[in-house]
Amino acid sequence: MHLAVTDRPLDGNSALEFCSAPGHGAVDLFIGRVRDINQGKSVLGVSYDLHAALCSNVFAEIAAEALDQWGRETRLWLTHRSGRLEVGEASVVAAASSRHRDEAFKACRYLVEQMKHRAPIWKQEHYVDGDSEWVKGHALCGHG
Amino acid sequence: MTTRNAPADSLEVQLFGGFRQFVPNGTLLVETGDAKTVADLRREVERAFGGDDNALMLLKASAFATDRRVLDDESERFPSDEPLSVLPPVCGG
Repeated sequence: MHLAVTDRPLDGNSALEFCSAPGHGAVDLFIGRVRDINQGKSVLGVSYDLHAALCSNVFAEIAAEALDQWGRETRLWLTHRSGRLEVGEASVVAAASSRHRDEAFKACRYLVEQMKHRAPIWKQEHYVDGDSEWVKGHALCGHG
Repeated sequence: MTTRNAPADSLEVQLFGGFRQFVPNGTLLVETGDAKTVADLRREVERAFGGDDNALMLLKASAFATDRRVLDDESERFPSDEPLSVLPPVCGG
């Protein structure tokens, strides 16, 4: 598996190359990009803040859970950007390959959904009108 | 986080995300006093934020963590020899 957070541009092709094996007939790739509108507000860009050390541990936990569910031979890739991104830039790349498509689809989706709910990552949207706002998210505590 | 720079009976906690609008440098010095559990530490962080209602509201929805894991049991003793952080609700992707 390849798991990382980085302030450098993300590359989907690297994920596809990594998630490859002679016996793997399926590879699923997800790329999340900064979009130009959110809840009716025009977005210029997004700043990502993250807790790198804890993020690495959470990514490892999520990937281990995916391997438990869809097999140890599944190949996984999960990378997330930090810092300021402009509209259209990739913020997250996830990929999974396996013998058949069902496992690849499910494992890739699991990486993305669990990352969004559990990884210590935050985003601040910057709007065309000059305003900025931290986006509301998922509480990691039971009482949030 | 706990640091060598913090005075005795105090520690620094790292803040992320929305907390940066209240503490731009992302570090809050907290008096620890007799604080031993995560719940104790939460009360001390509340005190450090004073009467800032917006910060306190965000804190209420936040978890405490080390660099290794989220401290999701409020009755747990927090480690005094590891960096500590306050994590507001997350939204990667």
